Amino acid sequence: MKNNIIILGGGQAGIYAAREIRQNDPKSNIKILGEENLLPYERPPLSKDFLLDKKKAEDLYFHSSDVLKNENIEFENISINKVDFENKKLFAKNDNVYSYDSLLISTGSENKKLTLDNNLKNDIYYLRNLEEAKKIKEIVSNKNKITIIGGGFIGLEIASSLSQLQKKVIVIEIGNQLMGRIIPKQIADLVQNTHIEHGNEIILNKQIEKITKKNDDYEILLNDNSLIETDFIIAGIGSTPTVKLFENTNLKLDNGIVTNQFCETSIKDVYAAGDVSNFYHPFYERNMRLESYQHAQNHGICAGKNIAGVKTEYTSIPWMWSDQFNLNLQLTGICDEYDEIIERGNDINNGVIYFFLKNNKIRGACGVGVIGKVGRDIRITSKLTEKDTIVDKQILSDQNLKLNKLIQK
Amino acid sequence: MSEENWIEVGSTDSIEEEDLIRFDHQDKTFCVYKLTDGFYATDGICTHEAVHLEDGLVMDDEIECPMHQGIFNIKSGEALSPPACEDLKTYPVKVDNDKIFIKID
Repeated sequence: MKNNIIILGGGQAGIYAAREIRQNDPKSNIKILGEENLLPYERPPLSKDFLLDKKKAEDLYFHSSDVLKNENIEFENISINKVDFENKKLFAKNDNVYSYDSLLISTGSENKKLTLDNNLKNDIYYLRNLEEAKKIKEIVSNKNKITIIGGGFIGLEIASSLSQLQKKVIVIEIGNQLMGRIIPKQIADLVQNTHIEHGNEIILNKQIEKITKKNDDYEILLNDNSLIETDFIIAGIGSTPTVKLFENTNLKLDNGIVTNQFCETSIKDVYAAGDVSNFYHPFYERNMRLESYQHAQNHGICAGKNIAGVKTEYTSIPWMWSDQFNLNLQLTGICDEYDEIIERGNDINNGVIYFFLKNNKIRGACGVGVIGKVGRDIRITSKLTEKDTIVDKQILSDQNLKLNKLIQK
Repeated sequence: MSEENWIEVGSTDSIEEEDLIRFDHQDKTFCVYKLTDGFYATDGICTHEAVHLEDGLVMDDEIECPMHQGIFNIKSGEALSPPACEDLKTYPVKVDNDKIFIKID
């Protein structure tokens, strides 16, 4: 049967879903509707290699237009402003109407914005898309003292890049550690030390009271009455799922679009994948919403299979990374449900990993090390987690013993 | 094919089974693997981003990049899992008197 399949959202989850549908369904019409006038591209380099001029915009596309053409996947740059789930129609701002048999929502997430008293809305910069990255890159070339509000992944990656561009960087974080939402403090402290060693200033436990513009510069008043002078401000204070379009519909929302393990939403023939989806994870037996590269890719692929009629559970163990200076930080599983922590290694040059165990099984692990030093062990950990293996703690804690001995084939 | 294209990598006992070693020659980096059925060689740098595969995970016939989890078939070099989509170059390997040689073109 030939269906009209529409993918709303032209990011990573959308493109991987489209290609997966095509692999399983040679006939149906597949159309991606994207808000940005760009084919789906990789976002992780925006805060790193793109700012550092090691990668150009054209290096970021997942696939060329030829690949989409060969697989008969249409991409249209359009903004949708109304959805009629009952009649299976999407309405665009320019009055175009799109009918679907199956719909995948992969609208992603958007940056939280600072709430400021005075009208400084256009003075604070955020980084999510290529256009914003281009602007930041252009402006920072003429700036010297840059303040980053928010000590999460994105803020710290930008801080690392700008430091490498010889800028003075100050990071202000409201919490008592960096990357506090998901990264254990032990690892965050190691990353913080590296920032400080490279000359970045890290201010923890402080809130912004007021930002004042002084000619072309700014004064940031903190809640301890200290004052920071800066000539450019970037904020990275988290994100929210992009669901405004669905707020007055029957689609079940709760921190994103609620989906089951098959990427199905509360409405028949409507699926959601990637950052926007608050999905049920059968292994952890709970719902979660993830914002990561691996998740966008694998969740998109899983949605694609289900849309094409290949019923597939999403069981991928979460995994994410961040690159800052010469460090690669990786996290697998979840690190907030544990009864025991085991440390492997104590030197960042060889990699340091903390394992989070519950009932002698790994639930998650987080590690950091000079690039290349933790990836293998973190990957083995994902496999051990997935297989629900009871682990030998002696091997986990001794860096001289290889972790692959723990994998039962 | 001339004999001088075969470059000695090391002794056969320098690699554990289901593992690899990195081998640098002139300005290039290679990975040499010992799998259950013999020795294999590929380029040493991931085709996705410039990361050394020496710290990657070898399982069965596959090497997985330690940075972003792109997976390649060691024997054919085929990119098996995104984000890797460009194949990894492979090289012929021979063993002579317990020494491993790879043929670099």
